[in-house]
Amino acid sequence: MTGIILSIENLSVSVGSRIAIKDLSLQIPSNTILYLLGPNGAGKTTLLRAIIGYPGYNTVSGVIQFEGEDVTDKPMEYRVSKGLALAHQIPPKLVGVRVADLLSTLCKKSGCSVSDVAKDMEIEHLLYREFGKGFSGGELKRVEIATLLAQRPKLALVDEPDTGVDVDSIEIIARGLKRLVEISPHKSIVIVTHTAFIARYIEPDATCILLGGSIVRCGDPELLYKVMRSGFKGLA
Amino acid sequence: MGLKAWLDEVRERALKALTKPSPYGVDVDVTPFLSAGEVRSGGFLDSARAEKVGVNLKANALYIQVDQAYFSYLSRIPGVEVLRIEDLIDQKPDEAYEYLWRLVDPAADKYTALAALRGRGGYFIKVKRGVKVEEPIMACLYMSYGGLQAPHNIVVIEEGAEATVYTGCTIAPEVLGLHVGISEFYVGKSAKLRFIMVHSWNRVAHVRPRTVVSVDHGGEYISYYVNMARVKTLQTYPIVHLADDAKAFLASILLGLGKADIDVGSSVYIHGNSSGAELVSRALARDEAKIFMRALIVGEGVSRGHIDCRGLMLSDKASIQTVPELIAKNPNVMLTHEASIGRLAEDEINYLVSKGFSKEDAVSALIRGFASIDVKGLPDRVRSYIESIEKVISEKAL
Repeated sequence: MTGIILSIENLSVSVGSRIAIKDLSLQIPSNTILYLLGPNGAGKTTLLRAIIGYPGYNTVSGVIQFEGEDVTDKPMEYRVSKGLALAHQIPPKLVGVRVADLLSTLCKKSGCSVSDVAKDMEIEHLLYREFGKGFSGGELKRVEIATLLAQRPKLALVDEPDTGVDVDSIEIIARGLKRLVEISPHKSIVIVTHTAFIARYIEPDATCILLGGSIVRCGDPELLYKVMRSGFKGLA
Repeated sequence: MGLKAWLDEVRERALKALTKPSPYGVDVDVTPFLSAGEVRSGGFLDSARAEKVGVNLKANALYIQVDQAYFSYLSRIPGVEVLRIEDLIDQKPDEAYEYLWRLVDPAADKYTALAALRGRGGYFIKVKRGVKVEEPIMACLYMSYGGLQAPHNIVVIEEGAEATVYTGCTIAPEVLGLHVGISEFYVGKSAKLRFIMVHSWNRVAHVRPRTVVSVDHGGEYISYYVNMARVKTLQTYPIVHLADDAKAFLASILLGLGKADIDVGSSVYIHGNSSGAELVSRALARDEAKIFMRALIVGEGVSRGHIDCRGLMLSDKASIQTVPELIAKNPNVMLTHEASIGRLAEDEINYLVSKGFSKEDAVSALIRGFASIDVKGLPDRVRSYIESIEKVISEKAL
């Protein structure tokens, strides 16, 4: 498939009484690994949550279209059913819910194999553990990416997959993200990061910079490497 | 003193305690149950209800009691003995003398007194020295027409033996009954008893089990208790005594529905050194249910203990109160507790919805997770039944 998968026009989002995303426009085409970079507090997580319709992230104005359909007023349940998925930066602990239980429910819907997903993300040893309890940073991220692999989404939105993660886990996570691109019918993914460490393992096709709730610049992969060298100074 | 004299003394002490209330729970007038006439016969076992509480009626070691009149029992497992208590008294008076009313005080309260005076039946299960039984030993206590059911249960796990005893207790719909089960469990040296009790009562039933467990040197007692249906009042506070190198793990799942008044606790007295206890309880309160969750660990020897009480509020009119208590009588005791009560976290629900769950399925999964306690070492059949109980609880709690 080719064309624009996700189109955001003049989006403003409030969280509580604060406007966290201001008049933001962004288009995500197919066959694209898009990195969305920004310092802490730039609005990256807010943008991803607004795209997926997470409760508490309220669209004040603007339009979100996914595969040509206006989903701006649709609830999260609907957007997820259409193929959007979010890897959370910090997934909550789920008391008494084992990783295997969650993956099994997701795989029943998508037709995947829990053991294959667990093997891909090297989380076999966590399958019968309570979700999130006592996991290391890397384990938590690997399990989170595993949930996306089990969902088999059309477009994955991945929030900070490289924060608090050791080098070995980053390689596994990058392998999982590449797999998500492979199984996406659009061959695209959105990766949010403020360190861009993960870019050493999964190369970008495009980069956008988010500052103060607005996209200030989009460009080719060189933009990401420039940020990695020099930071966000001078990009506003 | 012989058995007859001992039982006479038990009855004498019981008579003096008939008006003594329990310190916990709703006070139930036991007079109507005391003055009831002779035991009625004609009650029949509702097999479907027995199976609903997980009892395998084809088990190789089985005890069935209906009301106070019908008894059936057998053991085809080598090294496992199953008897009705009256038959124990007739056939093995020495053992009856050794085990009956030795852990539970007949004068503890009016319910133990009532059981001592009016009780019938109950099982005597003995697993002989060194015998390790994988298949669960099953018991079903069923009330078909109400009134009083007061069985006296004794389990003896001899030195080095190991067994799982599964007891399902249930009642016919809408019959008013008082169930007072007296349980005295003896876990021998380096022996292990896994005890599972599943209760499914009705909205007019009163339930007052009284349980005391003695765990000898190196022994282990693992208990899993669940109340999975409506009940009018339920109060129980099992006591476990641990010797040296002994362990206890007690898990309770309490579902409060309707106007249930539930007061359930667990207590462990660690007398020995190098021993440990863990008490885990989960309460789910719906409708107008009131649930007290009590837990007590007393550390006398060098020991460790932990209490984990969590309550889940599923209604604005329900209430849950946790009362965890730790008592150290030795400076080398390490005792801890954690307790929490709240609603399901919105963030957890939203997280699951973001993974493709409907909101209802997300709530159900989280309730089921809440009610799930990992009890290690259970036989597969018991484990799979417990998983089905967790599912039933999550459905009933919604």
